[in-house]
Amino acid sequence: MTEGLLWGMPVIGYLFLAGVGAGAMTVSASMYLRGGSETRGMHVDTARYGAFLAPIPIMVGCGLLIFELGSFEVGNWLKWLNLYKVINLSPMSIGTWLLTVTIGVSVVYAYTYVHNAPGLPDDRRYALRRALSWAAVPLGVATAVYTGILLGAMPSRPFWNSPILALLFLVSSLSTGVAVILLARALIHRKDADSGAERHFEKSGYILTASDTLLIGFEIMVIFLFLMFGYLTVGDVKEAVQVVLAGGSLATLFWLGFVVIGLVVPVLVELYYVMPKLLYHREYVAPRGVEIVVSVVVLFGGFLLRYIVVIAGQITGPVGV
Amino acid sequence: MSQVNTGSGVSRRNFVKGAGAATAAGLGVAALPRAARGAEADGKPNYGMLIDVRRCIGCQACSVACKAEFDVPLGATRSWVEYIEKGEYPNIGRSFLPRLCNQCNHPACVRVCPTGATWKRAEDGIVVVDPDICIGCKYCVHACPYDARFINPVTGSADKCDFCLHRVSQGLEPACVETCIGRARVFGDLNDPDSEISRQIASNPVTVLRQGQGTEPNVYYIAADHSDEHDVAHRGRYVDVTTHRREEARR
Repeated sequence: MTEGLLWGMPVIGYLFLAGVGAGAMTVSASMYLRGGSETRGMHVDTARYGAFLAPIPIMVGCGLLIFELGSFEVGNWLKWLNLYKVINLSPMSIGTWLLTVTIGVSVVYAYTYVHNAPGLPDDRRYALRRALSWAAVPLGVATAVYTGILLGAMPSRPFWNSPILALLFLVSSLSTGVAVILLARALIHRKDADSGAERHFEKSGYILTASDTLLIGFEIMVIFLFLMFGYLTVGDVKEAVQVVLAGGSLATLFWLGFVVIGLVVPVLVELYYVMPKLLYHREYVAPRGVEIVVSVVVLFGGFLLRYIVVIAGQITGPVGV
Repeated sequence: MSQVNTGSGVSRRNFVKGAGAATAAGLGVAALPRAARGAEADGKPNYGMLIDVRRCIGCQACSVACKAEFDVPLGATRSWVEYIEKGEYPNIGRSFLPRLCNQCNHPACVRVCPTGATWKRAEDGIVVVDPDICIGCKYCVHACPYDARFINPVTGSADKCDFCLHRVSQGLEPACVETCIGRARVFGDLNDPDSEISRQIASNPVTVLRQGQGTEPNVYYIAADHSDEHDVAHRGRYVDVTTHRREEARR
């Protein structure tokens, strides 16, 4: 569906990947700080997954953006560096600098999780990790929010021109960040001989899943408000929102793909596993297979959200001339 | 070589000012240029264009002149003429809407440019793009409510109408104005109350495109048909817009 659009798959991929990376970084640093930031905090193993997962999606996403540039398409491979010659109030300019700092912090933050990291003695490594955690949380949130502000800054694109779009992207980023950590844990983790470490690992799993339940619930609310106010208003925004409402060209993809498969199904499955512990303090047990399927579905939903929003914004415009 | 500004005497100026104020009260102040509103001009020109749609015959001479002037690549348009057909036989109408960059007072494109490659010139109000700085991110193309911008497939940078800056700076009129056989286009200084454009704007009902976008365009229309196929579709009226561009629909 992206043929002939100014912003196609590279931009969609960027919005998704940068969201996942920023979410993973925020979640990782939050888990680390919450688990007690001493040498071996309670959630340090889970935080390590997030720290290692964060930098690559963000960097790959930004790389994709360069492929979409008009200057790159005509062979000016390095003209994008002009972005670094100024800073102005364009969301893209602020975003460029923000992403640069975020990438830098995410790489160093990940490095502090490397055992026996060359050039970084352990005591300095832990101190640095702790300091960077405090930077990683706001930077990850800012990166996730910025992608929504970038799209939302234009009255000429009424579908995007909503103050709640940035919040939607933030919640989706955090949710997909949790999902990618859960997925990596489920795929890679081997049972630890140390039962204490294993208990911590299960506890982290519960916190992640419970957080994701809350985040998806919040995301459903944000989506509801986005659609409801689009429906209740008049003019450009009302016309634009029609593309995802009944009869619109993106309606099936939006409702079946994003809302049902990407939000409702995973939140119900997660609730099923979270509720017994939340309500009756029973043991939290989630099968590996379920964790994998739920995470994949959440990531799929996050991608579909970017896909639908990017297309919907470009096939709609102000009404009248 | 025709002069951009038409001079005239003091008495006429005072007359025009009075007429301008009277028209402003009747028409809605927002659609009138600063000079007509009686604001202080700072001595610099503020170039604008008035298109009298009643005089347009849809011949596309302006589109062709623009293509020739800038060697605009195939598939891209700085200036174009839309045909608007509406109604059902025997109650039908057809009108033309010449389109170009509106050189807005609040250009949405400039606000979003991350490299500073596009700006509104303080000396004459023309919005320009520097293709040596522009990286082609397409943000401005999205931000323009008039679809006036495109990515030039040769330079890879954003491109659009600049009121023929190279001609205007030499005292010539833009190519589309000079070639218009119906004299539908008037180009001039909106800050000069005696210019042809100011006088015509002051004495005619004029509109701008998509006023609700808050961009304050400097391209004015007389008798433009603002019908849009998306706008009227749900009212069951037939309107068909032919854009004559690669982008077949207005967005």
